Amino acid sequence: MNRADRRLRVAAVGYLNARPLFEDLDREPASARMRLDCASPSEVARRVAEDEADFALMPVAAAATIGDLRVARGCAIASRGTVRSIAIVAETPVDSLEALAVDLSSRTSVILARLVLRARRRGREPRLLGCAPEEAVACVSGSRGALVIGDPALAIEGRFPHVLDLGLAWFELTRLPIVFAAWCGRPGTLSFEDELLLENAKRAGLARRDAIADEHALRSGLPAASLRAYLRDSIHYDLGDEERRGLERFYDDAAREGLLPRARLRFFDEDRRSAAPPPSLDSLLARAADGERLSANEGERLAAEAALFDLGLAADAVRKRKHPDDVVTYIVDRNVNYTNVCTTSCRFCAFYRPLGHPEGYVLSRDELAKKLKEVVDAGGVQILLQGGLHPELRIEWYEELFRWMKSEFSLGLHALSPEEILHIARLEGLSVRAVLERLHAAGLDSVPGGGAEILVDRVRRKIARAKCTSDGWLGVMRIAHQMGLRSSATMMYGTVDTARDRIAHLIKVRDLQDETGGFTAFFCWDFQHERGTRIEPGEHGTVLYLRQQAIARILLDNVDHVGASWVTQGPEVGQVALRFGADDFGSVMFEENVVSSAGTTFCMNAEGIERRIHAAGFKAARRNVHYDWLTAPA
Amino acid sequence: MTLDVVVEKIRAGQRLEADDAVVLFRHPDVVAIGQLANDACERRHGDRVYFNRNMRIEVTNVCVASCLFCSFAKLEEGAPGAHTMSLRQAWAELESRIHDPPSEIHIVNGLHPGLPFSYYEELLSGFKRIKPDVHMKCFTAVEIHFFATHYGMTYREVLQRLQRAGLDSLPGGGAEIFHPEVRARIAHDKATADEWLEVHRVAHSLGMRTNATILYGHIETFEHRVDHLLRLRALQDETGGLQAFIPLAFHPDGNGMRNLPAPTAIDGLRTIAVARLVLDNVPHIKAYWVSMTPEVAQIALRFGANDLDGTIVHETIYRAAGSRSPGALTTAELVRLIQEAGRIPVERDTLYGVVREYPRAILPEAALKVRDRKATKHLEVVS
Repeated sequence: MNRADRRLRVAAVGYLNARPLFEDLDREPASARMRLDCASPSEVARRVAEDEADFALMPVAAAATIGDLRVARGCAIASRGTVRSIAIVAETPVDSLEALAVDLSSRTSVILARLVLRARRRGREPRLLGCAPEEAVACVSGSRGALVIGDPALAIEGRFPHVLDLGLAWFELTRLPIVFAAWCGRPGTLSFEDELLLENAKRAGLARRDAIADEHALRSGLPAASLRAYLRDSIHYDLGDEERRGLERFYDDAAREGLLPRARLRFFDEDRRSAAPPPSLDSLLARAADGERLSANEGERLAAEAALFDLGLAADAVRKRKHPDDVVTYIVDRNVNYTNVCTTSCRFCAFYRPLGHPEGYVLSRDELAKKLKEVVDAGGVQILLQGGLHPELRIEWYEELFRWMKSEFSLGLHALSPEEILHIARLEGLSVRAVLERLHAAGLDSVPGGGAEILVDRVRRKIARAKCTSDGWLGVMRIAHQMGLRSSATMMYGTVDTARDRIAHLIKVRDLQDETGGFTAFFCWDFQHERGTRIEPGEHGTVLYLRQQAIARILLDNVDHVGASWVTQGPEVGQVALRFGADDFGSVMFEENVVSSAGTTFCMNAEGIERRIHAAGFKAARRNVHYDWLTAPA
Repeated sequence: MTLDVVVEKIRAGQRLEADDAVVLFRHPDVVAIGQLANDACERRHGDRVYFNRNMRIEVTNVCVASCLFCSFAKLEEGAPGAHTMSLRQAWAELESRIHDPPSEIHIVNGLHPGLPFSYYEELLSGFKRIKPDVHMKCFTAVEIHFFATHYGMTYREVLQRLQRAGLDSLPGGGAEIFHPEVRARIAHDKATADEWLEVHRVAHSLGMRTNATILYGHIETFEHRVDHLLRLRALQDETGGLQAFIPLAFHPDGNGMRNLPAPTAIDGLRTIAVARLVLDNVPHIKAYWVSMTPEVAQIALRFGANDLDGTIVHETIYRAAGSRSPGALTTAELVRLIQEAGRIPVERDTLYGVVREYPRAILPEAALKVRDRKATKHLEVVS
């Protein structure tokens, strides 16, 4: 079917202030051409990033993160001066706040707040504390303020002695309007007629502004008069030259402060008039090497066009900036799989056995004790404990196991990937937070990042149907990080994923890391095709591995460490990967821990790891799960 | 001297000297060196990477030499593990594959003191009888030198008789490290550097093409490696008969240098890269996957190598020294390795005539059925 014949999939943020722009898209004539669906800001952005929506009314920060989107002219959610719905509230003067509670997933508002505060306070900003949107107000106390957004902001007007309206503050700073959201999509998505439909829908929506306000008043309990005034006076819906300058100023400032990838504002109709040449690959690589934040689109461009060496050199430059001492770390730990019984039957896995299968096992205490003692004897510092999703192991089993391990052995416990945490939560009817709290109390130290596969649900449904969604995986990590548990992040690619999926995965990790800062390191590897797996490999190969790891190092500007996965790629390729952005060589492998089922397996001791680190031109140091050095680099 | 000076020379198209090559070997950033070599390789070959369908046969491992690095040779007939194929056994290797025959047979042996010279002549002519167009790439210069001394002939006589029996070209083995400081210690009782080079010189004068190797990563220094490369370059200036240069990684299992670690992948890539830059007169640099593993050989295709050798089928010398590489790769696997590196696979004959050019990345159906790769348990992955 021709693109122009098909109905466009439209996503929009469902908030009150957006309704005048999108409500009439559900009616003729627009509804014949467009299929509208409302969602949360992050979901709206995800759909465009993963090609599940053709265009969307989305926050401007999300548009910059995806990168190289086009904007429909004439329509926006903007404000020039007082906006009312985005404000910092506090009991003490805002300019001297020490901490600020924010919903970190509201990226545009958070960036606006940070830009305004940094400008007003000469670069010094309060400590940011992540919290759920409905909890922000309750966090206000003493020198701790809160960023409040949307209905909660309108609901508490007048309650706090100190209020900084961020629309007004931005205007005072720049004498320009602020644009919060606009219609964005990939180049070429919207025709002139499509843009006309959007403009007409806006006109009809604005004519019904009071009715929209009254309806929302009934639903929210907020005073109708206040909402009417909000839609009429605080928000405006034009995207003209002034708004364009305001948005460009916002993008420039945010990129300069390292809060957003550098974004270039371009309208759909500018493409129709002239095709501007994209910026050169060299300039993109230079920006990558300088540690600048790149957008998803720029990442895709690197993946498609950059030469292996250019990626390697840029990734190495990023590594060098983060770790100027040229130290590569590794850990002496042991990977223990407490059970191979699993209910998910992922197509890429040859390890699992269904419950009742003669080869199914759950390690006994004696077997575990033997393994753990060997780790202690070998100078190991940690156990990486993971297993299948066993339908009969209850949370008490894990708690007792953890307590026993902690009392008998002084080893760090890096245990249970998000999938296993979710499994226990489902089994017990407990929340993820409750499960993590109980396990943490029993001795859990940190959470491994396995099971992320590709954080794009289209891919996950194909290769791991029974597993959690990408939001499920990220959600467990968010809660773990909020509790102070650190974790790693991983990516397994090379099945049905595309280059765009792999970049989307990295951006999701980066976005969550912006929120929590809880990821210590990132590891990736390609799908290991072997006997027993039921899926054909997709995009593959050692060269692709090096490219993928280098791109991860470049895009994950907020993750400290990138590790080379020698266990999957082999010690030789693992060593080469140290020159493609990695600063960690993973873990020694205890020989008997790897069950060789289909041929060659890799095994390497500390001496082998250090020798390869040295031969690659680095110093070696042992580490713990927090990447603290346990030995002096040598 | 710094890298900048060397880069300037490379840019200006000047020939690199010993000091320049040592700078390249010592430079810590192997990626930068690889990029220089890759540029040189792409200038000469574009995106084309060669492989062939060949078959290795080692007819005897009985050997009078006692090289420190060797885990293959058995000193005497009758020693445990010693074996010598009958001519019929050797020919059967080809006959058993006659439905899908290799285009090249590559024979390398120990220096067996008890076989008549006619054994080798019959060996060659027998293969040619079975398949007249098969290319016989047999006997290293070390073997030719041994034949000459053992059977009392000149190099020319040996080579001419073998040529008449069916010999088409010489492989590049036995070069090890030419420099006497090293050669005297690791390979004192076989052909010297000058003798090795002279055999190739004579072969070239008879119209044969040959290859050359280096065995790196044991007790030699970077200076020794550079010396080795320069001797080969000088020969090539003289004769032009070398087709390919093949770095071979030292593998320590079960030989006289088992206390040494094997060289790492980065050393292998660096050696490929420097060879490409120094050997400006040798057209092909080979990433011999048996020595490097297929995975690292794939990376080497971006570090200056433009050839992956071939399907091999039977290799026992590296196996004996603990190589983890598989014993054989299929054509489909080689094609896939090359395509995954973003290159264009070209199947060649021994003399680099094109047999078949494959598409850049659209995988033929057969290539999608991949080999059983590294069998690592999914959950054993480090996080």
